[in-house]
Amino acid sequence: MKIKTEDIRLAYGADAILKGVSMEAGNREFVGLIGPNGSGKSTLLKCVYRVLSPDDGAVFLDGKSLKEMNYKASARSMGVVAQHNYYNFDFSVREVVLMGRSPHKKALERDNAEDYAIVAEALEKVGMADFAARSFSTLSGGEQQRVILARALAQQTPCLILDEPTNHLDITHQLQLLKIVKQLDVTVISAIHDLNIAAMFCDRLYVLKNGEIVAEGTPREVLTRELIREIYEVESDIVEDSKGNMHILFY
Amino acid sequence: MKKRDSGRGNRVGLSSLGFTTVLIVLLALLVFSILASITFGNADLSVKEVYSVVAYELLHIRKFSDFAEGAVHDVVWIIRFPRVILALCVGMGLAVCGVVMQAVVKNPLADPYILGISSGASLGATIGVLFGFGALFGANSVGVMAFLGAMGTSFLVLFIANIGGRSNAGKLILAGMAVSSVCSAIGNFAIYIVNNKNATTEIMFWTMGSLAGAKWQRVAVLLPVILIGTLIFWSQFRNLNLMLLGDEASITLGTDLHRARNLYMILSSLMVGFAVYAAGTIGFVGLIIPHAVRMIFGTDHRRLVPLCALVGAIFLIWADVGCRVILKNSEMPIGILVSIIGAPCFIYLMVRRSYGFGGGRG
Repeated sequence: MKIKTEDIRLAYGADAILKGVSMEAGNREFVGLIGPNGSGKSTLLKCVYRVLSPDDGAVFLDGKSLKEMNYKASARSMGVVAQHNYYNFDFSVREVVLMGRSPHKKALERDNAEDYAIVAEALEKVGMADFAARSFSTLSGGEQQRVILARALAQQTPCLILDEPTNHLDITHQLQLLKIVKQLDVTVISAIHDLNIAAMFCDRLYVLKNGEIVAEGTPREVLTRELIREIYEVESDIVEDSKGNMHILFY
Repeated sequence: MKKRDSGRGNRVGLSSLGFTTVLIVLLALLVFSILASITFGNADLSVKEVYSVVAYELLHIRKFSDFAEGAVHDVVWIIRFPRVILALCVGMGLAVCGVVMQAVVKNPLADPYILGISSGASLGATIGVLFGFGALFGANSVGVMAFLGAMGTSFLVLFIANIGGRSNAGKLILAGMAVSSVCSAIGNFAIYIVNNKNATTEIMFWTMGSLAGAKWQRVAVLLPVILIGTLIFWSQFRNLNLMLLGDEASITLGTDLHRARNLYMILSSLMVGFAVYAAGTIGFVGLIIPHAVRMIFGTDHRRLVPLCALVGAIFLIWADVGCRVILKNSEMPIGILVSIIGAPCFIYLMVRRSYGFGGGRG
């Protein structure tokens, strides 16, 4: 499924956060969104996953405007893993993941064996099958994030939106989570902080600064010393290892 | 992957088989509680007499027609039985509305009165007692005034929370607190100005809650409201679960909760309003029963709602028995008893089970 945003504009009062952002992710493409804090990455993604509605512009899924879809329909098209998932109440891990089935359910429909099978499979994929009966709040940050990913997987959507999903995770879990996502072979738009991680996983990158897209292209095209200096105001070196993977060193 | 101490496992929830068993056991316990509790009271009646009356009224067995009227019949059928059913209704209603309100405002400290219902009801009752307004509503004019006060404040709170954009949990809680304190202030001002000792005592008794005023006519209204409301909320388990995840996560899961939230609050206010009409404000039940049930059976609302309904009903039936039995020739206000029994049980559960209240880890 293709995701496209067209000239998205959003302002909080007089502060323009997004100044006409157009981007797109092709079918099964892994698109990264990079940029400094406050550049509008999260705000843009929130417009895509409908928590915010843009003042102007529109988001299209396979050419169909989100405004013409109800929330259930859009939740059957894209799953979301956002930054904060903190609950005041104790759900079990299985219950949390089972909620991923809600967009497929009618008002009074009960969960059936198929739903439980999908939940078990999703937990299996993220390596959390043994934790199904555990209380969500007793898990570590990395485990919680994997459970939220499992919930998005249980939605069985052709797209995933990730809003800095690996924040607060150690390197093991960052790599593990993104590898799982990469293997799914679905359309992904992800905001990513770490440029090396972005270079590793993304097919294409968009660079946001002050609510505008200032560069786009493959990681090799985008991540240059000049651009990094311009965007982040730090000096860097781009090196290639023996396997031909690029690495960015910062000074 | 990190190795973990299995002792920290803290498993929650029940298998569906376990849930059905618990439900049946609680239902049986509820029936037992109803039948057992009518044998307690100040009038000295034998168990045989009590059940003869019940058998006659429910099954119309000729053999017991001696018990069709007279003092024994009146005590059991006119006084005790409706009172037990009233306790059932109020306990069930408060517990279920407590669960719903905690989900709606996403706050474990919420109770059924969070929307200012108790202060609104008190204000209504105060006006009823002091100024005799509402005398046109007949025998329970104070109850009717309380109902109107309760509904009035909850609609006002809902209205305020929806001004300037969509309501959310924070706005609801704050609006509820603000309206609450205005209502108490006005009520206290009225009591202060009128300075009528008898009226003040009456208001105080009323705000402590009592099931003594039970009558079949009132129960006949309350029982269907509470049962239908409980069933409706049970059917809404999916939305109630989503509410605890928050509005943003719910939208990504395909549900915009804005309308559901307002509808649930209106239905819940209606149920609590009727409970207040029949029995005054009884605190604590709507707060502790949901937590106690959650600690044992988990947070999933498809189980929580029916289990809370049954546990709330059973709890209040026995609390009311306590009220009738503890003091000789007098009755203890049920609000006091509920707090005295409820709080220690609650603390015990809280200490014994690891349980994430206001978040943090269990």
